[in-house]
Amino acid sequence: MDLLRRFARGEIDAFETLVRDHQSHIYAWIVRIVRDPGVAEDLTVETLWRIYRARQRFQPAGNFAAWARRIATNLAIDHLRRSRSEQSLLAEPAAAPAPDGLLQQETRDKIRQAFCRLPVKLRVAATLALIEERPHDEIADALGISVGAVKLRVFRAVRILRRQLAHLGITPGETRT
Amino acid sequence: MRGHMKEDDERQIREALRQSVPPIDAELRRDLWPAVLRKIDTHPAAIAWYDWALIGASCAVFVFFPQMILVFAYHL
Repeated sequence: MDLLRRFARGEIDAFETLVRDHQSHIYAWIVRIVRDPGVAEDLTVETLWRIYRARQRFQPAGNFAAWARRIATNLAIDHLRRSRSEQSLLAEPAAAPAPDGLLQQETRDKIRQAFCRLPVKLRVAATLALIEERPHDEIADALGISVGAVKLRVFRAVRILRRQLAHLGITPGETRT
Repeated sequence: MRGHMKEDDERQIREALRQSVPPIDAELRRDLWPAVLRKIDTHPAAIAWYDWALIGASCAVFVFFPQMILVFAYHL
């Protein structure tokens, strides 16, 4: 009997194999959304636990990775809604400076703050599409929406960001120092 | 023309964002299976709210119509 069928029947050995095969991918996906490695680890454990609890709803002929990614995405979005995790994003640049320092630190902080103020749905779509450069179909699958809806969310995020940055006196195309 | 402006707008915001919120490429540092197993052991499957509702409704029926217990037992 194949692994996914055994997992759906509740065999813990099969689930262990799936966890070991997929935990890195699930973690990598969650950390891209929440941008905090510690939180991402906790959410990965939570995701895997929920996957195990929902095993009877899984169709063994289906795509386990895509199913897992969708559960992970929902959990990550819930986390962002609860925490409005501005701190984790604001704490990031010390560990990860801008690639070639084209923007001044103050400008980067303002852009980051404006980004954090985006509605969570738009922020997640923009994070995955613009920052992490994930394909639109992958994002759509994870969010459970169409590719068109992903593009619309990214477009709306860009428009809001552009407006907020203009309000702060920042024009992205002219901010090089 | 409009599409080109939209693409240009998105590219500029993308560049500014990637400098301000750099892409993250963190690798998982430990095996999470022990933590998952612990969670499975300490959090047994929760009973859904509709199961509790069914139990409550059944108890109410048995309290107000005790003869239903026999009907229920017959169908078990």
